[in-house]
Amino acid sequence: MGTTVSIELADDRPEEELRRLIAGVCDWLHEVDARFSTYKADSEVSRLARGELRIDDCSADLRHVLKMCADLWRDTDGYFDAYAGGSLDPSGYVKGWSVEVASARLADAGSHDHYINAGGDIRMRGRHPEGGPWRVGIRHPWEADKVSWVLALNDGAVATSGTYERGDHVINPRTGQPARGLRSVTVVGPDLSVADAYATAALAMGEAGIAWLAKRAADGYDSAVVTDDGRAFSSANLPAAV
Amino acid sequence: MRRSTAAAVGTLTGAALIIGVRLSVTPPEAPVAQAPVADLQDSSPAPAKKPTTKPAANGEGAKEEEKAPEKAKTGFKDGVFKGNAAANPYGKIQVTIKVEGGEITGADATYPTANDSGTINPPAIATLKQSTLGATSADVAAVSGATYTSESYVKSLQAALDAAKA
Repeated sequence: MGTTVSIELADDRPEEELRRLIAGVCDWLHEVDARFSTYKADSEVSRLARGELRIDDCSADLRHVLKMCADLWRDTDGYFDAYAGGSLDPSGYVKGWSVEVASARLADAGSHDHYINAGGDIRMRGRHPEGGPWRVGIRHPWEADKVSWVLALNDGAVATSGTYERGDHVINPRTGQPARGLRSVTVVGPDLSVADAYATAALAMGEAGIAWLAKRAADGYDSAVVTDDGRAFSSANLPAAV
Repeated sequence: MRRSTAAAVGTLTGAALIIGVRLSVTPPEAPVAQAPVADLQDSSPAPAKKPTTKPAANGEGAKEEEKAPEKAKTGFKDGVFKGNAAANPYGKIQVTIKVEGGEITGADATYPTANDSGTINPPAIATLKQSTLGATSADVAAVSGATYTSESYVKSLQAALDAAKA
C-alpha cells in the first residue's frame, strides 16, 4: 500500500522471540497487500473490481471488508465511501483492519505491550517500555517536526487523516470534489479501522465534520481537528497526556 | 363529552410542552408535559368521572383530578382557571387557561427562571471545544499523522523516532 509500518514490542521477552513476532506481523501485512491492493492487478480486490470474481467466491476476509465498508458508509452518512474514486477501493478500511488483526495476533502470541504505526495510524496495547501509557503525538499540520497534541493511551487506536501529506487525496463523495475546510482530523477509539474511517469521513465532510465527530464521542471515539485556517478543536474526553 | 375533555387536556398539555421548549430542557425524568394542569379548581361543581391518570413521576403537586363540567356544550365555564402548581426537580410550573364562551381562548404558564433551572439551560450539547493550536517537541513514542508514503516517511518525525531506537 506504499507506506511504512513501524512496530515496537515492549515485552520483556527474548530478542529472538520478539524478532519472530515482528516477522509474523510483516508477513501478514505483505499478505494483505498482495490480496487487497488496488495497485496489484492480480489481487483479490482487483479481480473482484474487474468482475472476474463473484462476491460469493471471495475470501471470508474480503467479504468481511466489504460488509464493514458498507456499514461504515451508512454510519458516516455516505462520507466514507469505498467507491468514492469511481471503482472499488477498500484501502481506507483494509489498512486499519489489517493492523487491528496484527495487534490481536501479537496479543494472542503473548505480546501485550506493543504498538504498530501504519503510515501514521496507530494501534497500541499495554505499556511503554519504561512503564506507563504509550505517548502518541499528533503531527502538527504545518510543522512536520512538531506535534500539536500529545495523547496517553494503554489500549486503543489513533488514526489521522489530513490534506497536508498527499494533497487532495480525500474526495467528498457528495460533490466529487476534494475535501475542503479541515486540514487534519484525528480520531481516537477502541478500533483502528473505525477510527480511520471516521477520520476520513469527517475530513470529507469539511467543517460540518466537527459537529459530526462530536456525536461520535458517545460511542467512545474522541477527536482532535485542525481547520484549514488553523483553528484547533478537541473533544472533552480526548486522552491528552499530562 | 369525554371527547371535549380530552381535547382540553390536549390543549393544556400542548401548552406545557411549549414550556419545555422554552426552557430547552427535555429531562426524561421530569415529566413536565404530564403535570396535572387539568386540575381546574374553579370549574363546574359537577365532577366528571375521574380518569385514572398515572401520577407524575415525581409525585409532587399532583392532585390527579380532572373535573369537567357536564352541563355546557363544551364543558367549560367562562373565566380564568389556574391549575395546581406542579413541582419538578427544576422548579414549579403552573398553567393558567382562559375560557370564553365555553372555549379555551388562552393558556399560559409560569415556569422557573432562576435557581436550578439556570444550571440546566442551555442544555449540554455535544461539541468539540476550540483551543489554541499547539506546536511542541514533546517526548513521544509514536506520531499519528496523515498517511505518509514510503518516500515521505523518511522525512517524518516517526522515522526519526524509529532511527533513535534502532
